[in-house]
Amino acid sequence: MNAIEIRNLSKNFGEKQAVSGLNMTVPVGAIYGFIGENGSGKSTTEKMICGLIHPSGGEIKLFGKEHTDVDVRAKIGVLIESPGCFPNYSVWNNLMLQAANLRVENAEDEIRKVLKTVRMEGAAGNKYKNCSLGMKQRIGIAMALLGKPALLVLDEPINGLDADGMRIMREVLLDLTQNHGCTVVISSHILGELEKIATHYGIIRGGKMIREMTAEELEASCRTYVALQTRDMKKTKALLDQKYARVEQDESGYLRVYNAKEPEEIVTYLYENGVLVNEIRTDKIGLEEYYIDLMQEGK
Amino acid sequence: MQTAEKLQFESPTFIKRIKGMLGVDFYRLFHTPLFYIFLGIAAIIPAMLIAMTGMSGPDGTASEPLFTNVWQAIAADSPIYGFEGIEKYANMNMVFIFGGIMVSIFVGHDYKSGYVKQLFTTHAKKSDYMLSKSLTCAFAMACMCLTYLFGAVVAGALTQTSFSVNAGNLICAILGKLVMSLGWASLYTFLNIIFRRYFGVSIFSSFFFGTGILIIGVGALVGNTPVLNIFLYGSSVFACLSSNIVNLLVCLSVSVAWAAIYNLLGSYVLSKSDVY
Repeated sequence: MNAIEIRNLSKNFGEKQAVSGLNMTVPVGAIYGFIGENGSGKSTTEKMICGLIHPSGGEIKLFGKEHTDVDVRAKIGVLIESPGCFPNYSVWNNLMLQAANLRVENAEDEIRKVLKTVRMEGAAGNKYKNCSLGMKQRIGIAMALLGKPALLVLDEPINGLDADGMRIMREVLLDLTQNHGCTVVISSHILGELEKIATHYGIIRGGKMIREMTAEELEASCRTYVALQTRDMKKTKALLDQKYARVEQDESGYLRVYNAKEPEEIVTYLYENGVLVNEIRTDKIGLEEYYIDLMQEGK
Repeated sequence: MQTAEKLQFESPTFIKRIKGMLGVDFYRLFHTPLFYIFLGIAAIIPAMLIAMTGMSGPDGTASEPLFTNVWQAIAADSPIYGFEGIEKYANMNMVFIFGGIMVSIFVGHDYKSGYVKQLFTTHAKKSDYMLSKSLTCAFAMACMCLTYLFGAVVAGALTQTSFSVNAGNLICAILGKLVMSLGWASLYTFLNIIFRRYFGVSIFSSFFFGTGILIIGVGALVGNTPVLNIFLYGSSVFACLSSNIVNLLVCLSVSVAWAAIYNLLGSYVLSKSDVY
């Protein structure tokens, strides 16, 4: 059984088609990285999954049931845009209200548990409006975790978090899926961070799902390259450009030669042309570059 | 959390669902300073009306008192649907105008804070939301009616205005106004659902309907006909100082009927439209 199965989903806002014929499959227990440019339809799709907006067409099934089913909806946790807390209430009171809405038994114990999960035990008494952005995001996760959800839908939960905040969020999400069987759909523009936790990916463009794959499939699809450094990078680039189709300088100053067969071949070629290689290694492109390549292919 | 294999989908009963939602709404109501401000306003209005009318002007002559009896500040002597002077209009019905503004702010905050996102993700039944909001706001408006009554009694005692009245008629009138709170609260909740994206429009629409201006207009055209009792404002006027048990039953029936209609309409609108 899949946690989410979407077939031919569409959503129109007047003349504008935000989502068009979208298919999506999220297996139970997956961390599904949902990727796309701004305005590609990620948030709209997530809102449709959560029942916040109505699809214009298509079908959404959650755990094999219609997404409008009362019983299945009680098992969803959500963090979309902001946690939906009352700013003048304390973190604790906001969680108590959410617990009351979800009819959580032993609410106080459950709240303590979720606060511990998101490393917020010490901030329960703080007013929500006085919390930092990172704390608010974690409170949002805590709210979503109340009621023991089987599916978490998180829209940009790591935006604005510092390195420590991201690490905590990563640990929390891994714990939820690995130890508690929760399924997570997470959209983010911080692909490097997403790559560390996602088990599945869905890439959306112009309201259409253009690719769905597992982390293993992504790994296999990512092209290899040879990265190297020499004393005369300008001359090296000119030489490599003559022989290889794609040579680029990366952010750290290395020259990347894509689709090269062997590093030895490059070293020999440069040596024959009077250039000594200081450092050389083979590597694979990451999710971010894979995504950029994919987007460029489309354009 | 539960693993997929163990995942159980429970069907929460209506009682369980509404209990949780009402708990939240009442907690919010009692922790909203605005509620207490409106209670205070409701108490001050009759006090000001009773205390200030009949005061001496700059030339030393006392103006004609607006009310000759304290209870006229609670309800008119007889049901008059058209506008026949401020003394027939200025009574407990005014609470329903201020109540409308309070409901707009209360419901508007649900959307502004993003609370409805959390709520409607896990609660598919939009009718629960309508019912919970209507009941909570009806309670708030009934409380405002009671503080209005308190304000009138205190001001009447201080100004030594007459308290003579038929107790039975008075009780029926006050109970009639109290039960009307449910219908009014449902109307305001419905209006706020319709105009949820436009906070200013929701407040204006609540104020507009709360004044009963449409029924007053119809009353002026068609005359003082009891047919107007089928509307919320009509029944609110019908709860007057000559009320008996029939008036009270009419108020109760009209209030519950309109509450049901607005709840059904509101639930339909919510279930057919996007939350955002």
